[in-house]
Amino acid sequence: MPASKRFLRPEAIARIARLDLRARLVVEGFLSGIHRSPRFGQSVEFLQHRQYAPGDDLRHVDWKVWAKQDRYYVKQFEEDTNLRATLLVDVSGSMRYGSGEMDKYEYGATLAACLAYLLLRQQDAVGLVSFDESIRVKVPQRTKRGHLEAIVQGLAAGEPREKTDLFGILRGAAEAYPRRGLMVLISDLLVNRDGLFKGLKLLRQQGHDVVVFHVLDDEELEFSFSGPTRFEGLELDERLSCNPRALRDGYLDALGQYLDEVRIGCSRDSIDYVLFRTSQPLEAPLSAFLSYRQAARRS
Amino acid sequence: MPGFVYESLLWWGLPLVALPVLIHLINLMRHRRVHWAAMEFLLASQKRHQKSILFKQWLLLLLRMLAIAAVVLMVAQPVVRNRWGAMFGSSTTHHVLLLDDSFSMSDRWADTSAFNEAKRVAARLGASAERQDSPQFFTLLRFSRAAQLARGGRPDMLAESVDAGFAARLEKALGGLNISETAAGPDDALAAFDHLPAKGPDENRIVYLLSDFRTSQWQDPAALLKAMSRIDQAGAQIHLVDCAEGIHQNLAVVALKPASGTHAAGVPLTMEVTVRNFGPGAKERVSVVVEDDGHPRPAVVIEELPPGKSATRRFPVLFTSAGQHEVTARLESDAVDVDNRRSAVVDIPLAADVLIIDGDAKARDAYFLSTALAPGGKITSGIKPLIETPSYLRNHALDGFETIYLANVPRLEDAEIDALEAFVKAGGGLGIFLGELARAPFYNDKLYRNGEGLFPLPLAGPTELPVDRLDKSPDIEAGDHPIFSVFAGERNSFLNLVVVNRYFAAERNWAPDPESSVKVIARLRNKAPLAIEQQFGHGRVVAILTKAAPVETELGSWNNWARDNPSFVVAMLEMQSYLAAPRHPDAAKLVGMALALDLDTSKFLPQVRFVPPGDDAGGSVTVDATADGSAHKAVLADTLTSGIYQAQLTRIDGSPSVERFAYNVSADEGDLRKIEPTQMAGRLSGLRYEFHRSGDITYNPQQLAGFNLSESLLYALLGVLLVESGLAYAASYHPRPLRGTK
Repeated sequence: MPASKRFLRPEAIARIARLDLRARLVVEGFLSGIHRSPRFGQSVEFLQHRQYAPGDDLRHVDWKVWAKQDRYYVKQFEEDTNLRATLLVDVSGSMRYGSGEMDKYEYGATLAACLAYLLLRQQDAVGLVSFDESIRVKVPQRTKRGHLEAIVQGLAAGEPREKTDLFGILRGAAEAYPRRGLMVLISDLLVNRDGLFKGLKLLRQQGHDVVVFHVLDDEELEFSFSGPTRFEGLELDERLSCNPRALRDGYLDALGQYLDEVRIGCSRDSIDYVLFRTSQPLEAPLSAFLSYRQAARRS
Repeated sequence: MPGFVYESLLWWGLPLVALPVLIHLINLMRHRRVHWAAMEFLLASQKRHQKSILFKQWLLLLLRMLAIAAVVLMVAQPVVRNRWGAMFGSSTTHHVLLLDDSFSMSDRWADTSAFNEAKRVAARLGASAERQDSPQFFTLLRFSRAAQLARGGRPDMLAESVDAGFAARLEKALGGLNISETAAGPDDALAAFDHLPAKGPDENRIVYLLSDFRTSQWQDPAALLKAMSRIDQAGAQIHLVDCAEGIHQNLAVVALKPASGTHAAGVPLTMEVTVRNFGPGAKERVSVVVEDDGHPRPAVVIEELPPGKSATRRFPVLFTSAGQHEVTARLESDAVDVDNRRSAVVDIPLAADVLIIDGDAKARDAYFLSTALAPGGKITSGIKPLIETPSYLRNHALDGFETIYLANVPRLEDAEIDALEAFVKAGGGLGIFLGELARAPFYNDKLYRNGEGLFPLPLAGPTELPVDRLDKSPDIEAGDHPIFSVFAGERNSFLNLVVVNRYFAAERNWAPDPESSVKVIARLRNKAPLAIEQQFGHGRVVAILTKAAPVETELGSWNNWARDNPSFVVAMLEMQSYLAAPRHPDAAKLVGMALALDLDTSKFLPQVRFVPPGDDAGGSVTVDATADGSAHKAVLADTLTSGIYQAQLTRIDGSPSVERFAYNVSADEGDLRKIEPTQMAGRLSGLRYEFHRSGDITYNPQQLAGFNLSESLLYALLGVLLVESGLAYAASYHPRPLRGTK
């Protein structure tokens, strides 16, 4: 299956297309507003008309159309931005786990592809770094529509492997992309927390806006196994035969502590953090996040 | 070390204790593999909870093993017999074995019998008791001996202490026990429990009823239930042990007795034998071997005998001499032999004395009657008629007569009536013919007395039966009665030729009271009663409402029955048999009943030598007669075998005299149908008992010598299950709100 079809499936595209319509303003607004663009409002290309809805800025009402048809339409413009986004996608062994339709790797890759699609549609520059314990694929930032194929290819090339070393990756990314931009980390974050926070802090210190998309499987969050089970580590070389029910409480406690730690660590460095469950449709958390970003921008 | 009631169950059940471990191992083998990313948290959880989880799981495993062990032990019923056990239970045990030795226990199958099985069970119980450390006592009582206990008899063993060598002694004693021929049921045996020494405070008493549990003995369990409830309330345990197996083919001779007919030397006597099929299948060509006085007679054959049915056949015997004669009937061998033989003793006098009282000096009626009863010449009827006038009744003893006839008697004195009534009440027969001399008022006032007298109906007076040329029906219409049964089915009976011209009519609107014994046994053409019978005391009365003699009287001719019509002779002989029957009661005695002989000390010495069947003089018993009011009585209490018992008496003059008595087994005891345990449970509801098959008693009765821990184990099991449930709940998965997943 071609990588473009694998990560941009028709149903995913349809979802994203709807997402596009629904979130377009939000996406465009927040993405364009993330950076203080010196060309803000100067390079505007008319895109389409849209029927006026209460709340629309009256400056955008096309009065000529109103004069001819006695109807309010607002003009919408395709705005060029100078956003430079880098998608940091974890393709390590731990991302191979999945109890549902998609494993974490597929989910994260699809999420990355969707973001790239959206960003490229508004002509932002998107680059990709897929990594495990080292950077596997690096796709430079481009704004061309055709660049999506390169991104998707990059995602496909990164088969899940080995152990994650996030600090090294983030440091490498910071060095590779010294200009301020948006860094989107898509990972299950099953890594050494010190390395993670150090890496994220480094990015922030370089002026990057950092968003963490934390992808976890339902089973990882709920641990609803029953019956005698032998767990074999995907990254750690550990094996454990146990009655999962007996360990569930301890597991959930440890997981809860870990999630709290990640949330607190992210908020401490003003990093946006979103937890994705692989069973969730992509657009739901994405739009929730976009709403959140919009609200943050307004504030 | 506790003993176990069902020790074999223990060996079967204890391996089950390993079941939880086995299930655990199987589960381990069946575990699934999961490639897991978040091992870090899992390992953290495992590290944190490892000890408590292991502890809980080991505890859970232990509790589950304990629960299974408790169930197994509970079923095996452990019994503690040490001093600790004695604190809770009894320290001595008294085994009371009630052994059914009624003859249904002789039921045979394969190479054993129900009685042998019962003896084996008893021997096993004795052997088990011998192995016990605690004091054991043993009582053995046969059903047939149970009734004697109330009269001061002793059981076969009474509270005998069980010591080393007891089992051998018991086995020897059991070997000497044979089946009795009684039909002794469990009633007496259970009632005998009351005559045993009272149960001590620390005594554990167990009653074993070793029987075959036939339906016939458990039809009415009220008395049994009462007796068993008393045993239960006395604190003894009841174990019912069924020693018989299924129903087997069994035929029994259930009756052997003289049929109607004259008892007299040289006169053929008809005997009746009845055979019943108690088996599950029909039997064909059943041959009954008959003997009289030891001489074989032609066998009586019953072509087919369906299951549960009886068949009666008649056969003639001829005894040429007066006295007591023996008749026996015997069947082929089957599951139960004892009931295949039956005996009867028939009293044959030289002749049957008959008294005919004629009211007419010419005695014409008596003549015809006596001629019919004793024709004379070469033909002998065995009847010896005596013709007398009414005064004979008050002047002579009437005991020697079998039957008295009143023919054309106008009236009787009160003394004569009293003598006559006493005679009939004692079992004598009375035949009454009327005639031209008979007076209705006398009969009504003195003999009928509103239904309280001898005569069965009130009379109106002599009446003529008009001749009806158009009506071709016979003058006499006989009903279904033994006197006339010989004419039944004959198309051209001589009885139809009888012409009745005159008769005594009954009072207007008289009809026999259905509640009374009065019956009309023959009517005239005009439906008027002609022959009427009634029971009076032990005897019978038959009144013929016309004249016996077919002669002309001042009123004209009454009938022509006795004139050249053979039906008169036949009817009179049948009437004589019928009236005399109470004089020959079926003196059938059942084995087990006492043989009581009334002794006239003016004729006999007061000692009687009783010789039991089998002419074994060694078994004879000499009994002194005891005064019982004015009479003397000699009693043989034990009659345990069937056959002919002899009572040898000595007359005052020193000459010997012998009386014979036939003792037979109970006809019902051969019924081998068994009561099912479920039926038993229904009939004994509310009673605590245990039911066993003889083959199932593999348990060791030692358990009953101590404190049975089953009940305690039940509570322990409940406790273990409760703790296990709580622990299992604590150690198992229960959903709780998830944190940090949104």
